[in-house]
Amino acid sequence: MIEVEALTKRYGSTTAVDGLTFTARPGTVTGFLGPNGAGKSTTMRVVVGLERATSGTSRVDGRRYADLPAPLHAVGVMLDARSAHPGRTAYKHLLSLAQTHGIGRARVREVLGQTGLEAVARRRAGTFSLGMGQRLGIAGALLGDPRTLVLDEPVNGLDPDGVLWVRRLVRELAAEGRTVLLSSHLMHELALCADRVVVIGRGRLLADASVQEVVDRSERAGTVRVRTTDPERLARELLAAGAEVTPQEGGALHVRGATVDDVGTAAQRCGAAVLELAAEQVSLEDAYLQLTADAVEYRAAGASGGAR
Amino acid sequence: MSAAVAAPGVRSDARRGPTFPRVVASEWTKLVSLRAPWWTGGVTVVVAGVITYLSAQASSVDLGFDPVDSLGTGLALAQVGALVLGVLAGAGEFRTGAARTTFTAVPRRWPVVAAQALVTAAFAAVVAVLSVAASVVGILPPAARRGIEVDLWAGETPGVMLGMGLFVVGLTLLGLAIGVLLRRTVPAMVTTLVVALVLPVLLTMVGPPPLPADPAVLEPVAQVTVGGTLMVLSPGGAAQLMTFPASSGPMEGGPDIGPVGGGLVLAAWVLVLLVAAALRLRLRDVR
Repeated sequence: MIEVEALTKRYGSTTAVDGLTFTARPGTVTGFLGPNGAGKSTTMRVVVGLERATSGTSRVDGRRYADLPAPLHAVGVMLDARSAHPGRTAYKHLLSLAQTHGIGRARVREVLGQTGLEAVARRRAGTFSLGMGQRLGIAGALLGDPRTLVLDEPVNGLDPDGVLWVRRLVRELAAEGRTVLLSSHLMHELALCADRVVVIGRGRLLADASVQEVVDRSERAGTVRVRTTDPERLARELLAAGAEVTPQEGGALHVRGATVDDVGTAAQRCGAAVLELAAEQVSLEDAYLQLTADAVEYRAAGASGGAR
Repeated sequence: MSAAVAAPGVRSDARRGPTFPRVVASEWTKLVSLRAPWWTGGVTVVVAGVITYLSAQASSVDLGFDPVDSLGTGLALAQVGALVLGVLAGAGEFRTGAARTTFTAVPRRWPVVAAQALVTAAFAAVVAVLSVAASVVGILPPAARRGIEVDLWAGETPGVMLGMGLFVVGLTLLGLAIGVLLRRTVPAMVTTLVVALVLPVLLTMVGPPPLPADPAVLEPVAQVTVGGTLMVLSPGGAAQLMTFPASSGPMEGGPDIGPVGGGLVLAAWVLVLLVAAALRLRLRDVR
């Protein structure tokens, strides 16, 4: 269990994480979503004790990371594909990590097998592809058989097989009752393996909800397409109800600010026959972009206008 | 498949955290699994032997040639190997991002620095023994050519050999401390070489020019100068003192603190720098 509360991290005048609060619960894959530079990696580095929060707290199983008696058994961490010395073999890298907690060689070989690295275990990490580096990182995270896993962009650089493997792995880990916090800047990736998503932008929390809720929420703000025998009458009816209407070709209307139900009942009220009525499909990516749009815009404006 | 991953929290007996002996074992694996320590260590030993041989060979034409006087000459150059070994061991971790892995496993951090110092000292001790042995081998052919029997256990020679060994270990640790403190290989390397090699030379130039030798005075009065004092108190100068016998007297313009004093000064530098590195790790973020 990871509990982040009112976490703020500043570097000089730059605020990387701004009052962030969320919880990643056992038995769940929590997706951590945000555009590049949103503060995901910073948050994760604070969670695993590499960086100090400017204010606020982060706890793993109710303790500060630094106070965990056996960090490797409590939290498996994969922060960066390049977190091994390029001159050290995969096996020695994992062995040295294992030795800090008295974990035996058998377990090292076990995670090498689990991550499909047996064949390259004696190769130096510097010769690894990005995908192999990711696997090595995941192997290190699994080493201590931890209750919680923190994985920063684990599918980055993996081939399709590897992506499927990571998805299955995190589902399995969560099914075993572990807490998994997994970051990505790809909404569709998280939709496939996460139970909940914590969306951040500019270091602030934008949403903490199930994947479906995020989509629903953006659909409410989305567009309804309706085609009717009497577009003018329906448009008047909808405008009176406070919706925003844009006429389209062929007697269709695009309606914003009203749900499919609203438009249907409005059509019945004014007696316009509905020929076609549907919410414009909002893709997960759209939902995500909508959530983060403000954050990105602000960043762009801030960059041109100098420091705030 | 699921047998490999036991239910969380089961292996309670193995669930103790990073004790100091464990961190030491881990750091030892890390050090010896890289190529750089072996290379730099090997080069140190070879250079020590070869330069000592060449130097002794050159001196062997002198009338009063004493082979053991040449013992430390190889280390004057071979010390670069020890310094590089230390810097790479100290800064390599941060340069490559391996530090992130290390410090998530050992969040208290300072045991890592202590363990690194310990295993690097152990590795350097082996390099030191081999370097001294190589230096001894280096003086044997010129000595044999002059028919001089080398007695390593006579007079101050054992002390000089011990000092030479500790010189190698001390300079390796100096490199390590600067590497861990600065975290980047190139700046750490430049700093270390300047501090250990360039600074002593500069400091000898700070002092007033030596008075012309007065033949009437057999034992010129040792003059302690500011430059000479700083020289002796600098890590490089102090280290050099360790390779000379106590009877050779003070360095020019420096107080006579002897090889033991030199060793203590160097040890103090290493300790201060390691503590500074540990404090930096404690107080600052690891990126």
